[in-house]
Amino acid sequence: MSRETVELDFFEMEKENPSKSQFQKLLKQRRTVRGIQSAISKINPQLLKTVIESGTATGSSDGKSPAIGISRDTGVLLPSKKSFSVPSTPKGNQNFVPTFPVVNPNFRPTPESPPETAPLTIFYNGTVSVFDVPRDKAEKIMKLAIDFNTKTVESTETELAVSSSEEKHLLQTLNGGLPMARRKSLLSFLEKRKERYAKFRALLSLGPAQIPVLADYLANILV
Amino acid sequence: MRNGILDRMMSFGISDEALGCVLGYIHDHRDRESVSLVCRRWYEMDSMTRKHITIALCYTTSPASLSRRFPYLESLTLKGKPRAAMFNLIPEDWGGYATPWINEIAETFRCLKSLHFRRMIVKDMDLEVLVRARGYMLQDLKLDKCSGFSTDGLLYVTRSCRSLRTLFLEESTIIEKDGEWLHELALNNTVLETLNFYLTDLTKIKVRDLELIARNSRSLLSMKVSDYEILDLVGFFHAATALNEFGGGSYGLPSGDYSAVAFPQSLHCLGLSYMEKNQMPIVFPFAHLLKKLDLLYAFLDTEDHCQLIHRCPNLEVLETRNVIGDRGLEVLASSCKKLRRLRIERGEDEHGLEDEQGVVSQRGLTALAQGCLELEYLAIYVSDITNAPLESLGTFCKNLSDFRLVLLNREEKITELPLDHGVRALLRGCQKLKRFALYLRPGGLTDVGLSYIGQYSHNVRWMLLGFVGESDAGLLDFSRGCPNLQKLEMRGCVFSEHALAVAVMQLISLRYLWVQGYKVSSTGHDLLTMARPFWNIELIPSRTVFVTDALGNDAVVEHPAHILAYYSLAHPRTDRPKTVIRLYPSSCTNS
Repeated sequence: MSRETVELDFFEMEKENPSKSQFQKLLKQRRTVRGIQSAISKINPQLLKTVIESGTATGSSDGKSPAIGISRDTGVLLPSKKSFSVPSTPKGNQNFVPTFPVVNPNFRPTPESPPETAPLTIFYNGTVSVFDVPRDKAEKIMKLAIDFNTKTVESTETELAVSSSEEKHLLQTLNGGLPMARRKSLLSFLEKRKERYAKFRALLSLGPAQIPVLADYLANILV
Repeated sequence: MRNGILDRMMSFGISDEALGCVLGYIHDHRDRESVSLVCRRWYEMDSMTRKHITIALCYTTSPASLSRRFPYLESLTLKGKPRAAMFNLIPEDWGGYATPWINEIAETFRCLKSLHFRRMIVKDMDLEVLVRARGYMLQDLKLDKCSGFSTDGLLYVTRSCRSLRTLFLEESTIIEKDGEWLHELALNNTVLETLNFYLTDLTKIKVRDLELIARNSRSLLSMKVSDYEILDLVGFFHAATALNEFGGGSYGLPSGDYSAVAFPQSLHCLGLSYMEKNQMPIVFPFAHLLKKLDLLYAFLDTEDHCQLIHRCPNLEVLETRNVIGDRGLEVLASSCKKLRRLRIERGEDEHGLEDEQGVVSQRGLTALAQGCLELEYLAIYVSDITNAPLESLGTFCKNLSDFRLVLLNREEKITELPLDHGVRALLRGCQKLKRFALYLRPGGLTDVGLSYIGQYSHNVRWMLLGFVGESDAGLLDFSRGCPNLQKLEMRGCVFSEHALAVAVMQLISLRYLWVQGYKVSSTGHDLLTMARPFWNIELIPSRTVFVTDALGNDAVVEHPAHILAYYSLAHPRTDRPKTVIRLYPSSCTNS
């Protein structure tokens, strides 16, 4: 699996103050899963858009202190305060724009990754979280980050300003408000089913001979 | 009983013996309550002849009060934790301890033979005490969604209770040490009719013990087991010739030959856990006999549901997930005219893990309303909704006594909201409605709609309202109605503490309130507007809980604050954990 990455000065560390102070406000979020998620969603979307677009022109690994890495195969945003260098592949500077989930709503995962869910990895201030998110939800999250600032002029400091019910329920699983609770018995059943699925996914990697039987089984497990 | 008749009866001087005979035919607890209010003598007669009591919340009275009033009780049902505990919303140590009750039972209730604990904490020691005192007489023991005991406790029961007809452990959390309890049951019991350890994690069960039970207890009617491989139960099915109901097990082998499984001839009620498309045909030969079908934990898609349901014209009870889809509901509506109870639970939200056709909307619900006229219980999770199917339910389903609708968050845009008119039509049309739940989203029901609920829910005793209404005005309007509302649960509503408190004072029959998700203040002071004698107010402030799920992933879960308030004639409880706070005015002793 090729890992093509690009570094972008996402938070425009080299530029003026406004984005910097905004970023620092984000750092004050609690280091909980919810805190991280809400922080990411408050990232200035205009910034994100312009920076990514400018970043593609400049390419990668050019010695600037990069603040973001994007992994193409999984659609990952990697903001980081410290500079780190993620080497690009020998394939060099290609036009990455069509593969960015943020700017390209038709982002397709690589053939090797399963179409149902893909890991969404968030690196934030020294902590790493991985979420298994379906493709369309991942796109929604990215789109929301872009659209967010068009609805609210400035991102607020201490609360997540959810202006419409649309955003509210989209973010429902993320911002923790009052998510719809599941019955214990069904939760346990759905988790068991996921486990079965994961087991057989692992078994699938065993060899081509086993695949037809297992694929057939998988097809049943998926419903 | 009107005054005219009363006078005649009193003047005839009915003897106690005669009265006792008559009371033997009066079972409904509301009729019994009326009897007990007539005069002192009738109160005493009722007390001595009452056979069954259900205590909906174990803290509303004390064991001593119960035994003083109903010393000859034969059957007792006690419930502990709030219903929200079934959704992991209540701390495990909230309360609901069986110990004081069992101690009282052991000491005074000489006639008790039937005991049902629901959502309570029962310890092995409690079971030992119970068995020592009542074991020889115990006929029915139900530990329903309970926790706190192990298989050692069960061993006390099965070793000594030879008269046991019912042993029900469904969905209890049991510490498993071995399978001895089942072995003892197999050896000592010949009158067992119902054995249920469905949805428990018991794995040390020996199949030969199940077979022995089937052979020894010729009247075995109902068996529901944990995840035991079905192919290993062939011998059991062969022996259990009178079996009426079977659930649980696991159709776990994809290449297994399940056609070898011969179900007993009299089987009318079946649960198909983990069954897949390929295995489904084994049910076809007797599908037309089925009255009850449980597909909640099956691996079937929408088409499979259609194929199966189509073959079950005598179906009266169906439980499944929303993978049944609108198409499945249409098949149900046209094939199953005798359907009385339908529960459609929430399946997987993530795409790709459940059939993409598996959405239930106004289309399926309308078909159902027009096709299944005998419906008495309907609980349904929908992805989309309009007013029309609710109006249809009000028009066609006149026997509906329990209706629960939950609107999922899968779709951003719902075809038609608010549901004010539909809800009004449903409540006006379904006069027998006693239990009602409506769980929507902001915009799902306006304040006007909420006032309709107050106005038209004359006979409703229990309600769950989620994300309804727009403001305090709606709640206050609502609470001027609902004359028979005894138990109210609310979630995600925008009401202030003051409005909640005023509403409680206005709901004339209210004796139990549970709320999560409201305008929380830092002190909860406004809630004291509802402070009054015998009204206990408990608060579970918001908590942050660290959990690890079954796959080993850690997560942080935020639990918003809860209010729990209830009438009680007992002293305020002393077994509250640190997470539960009691709210009362400083001037009030409330003893």
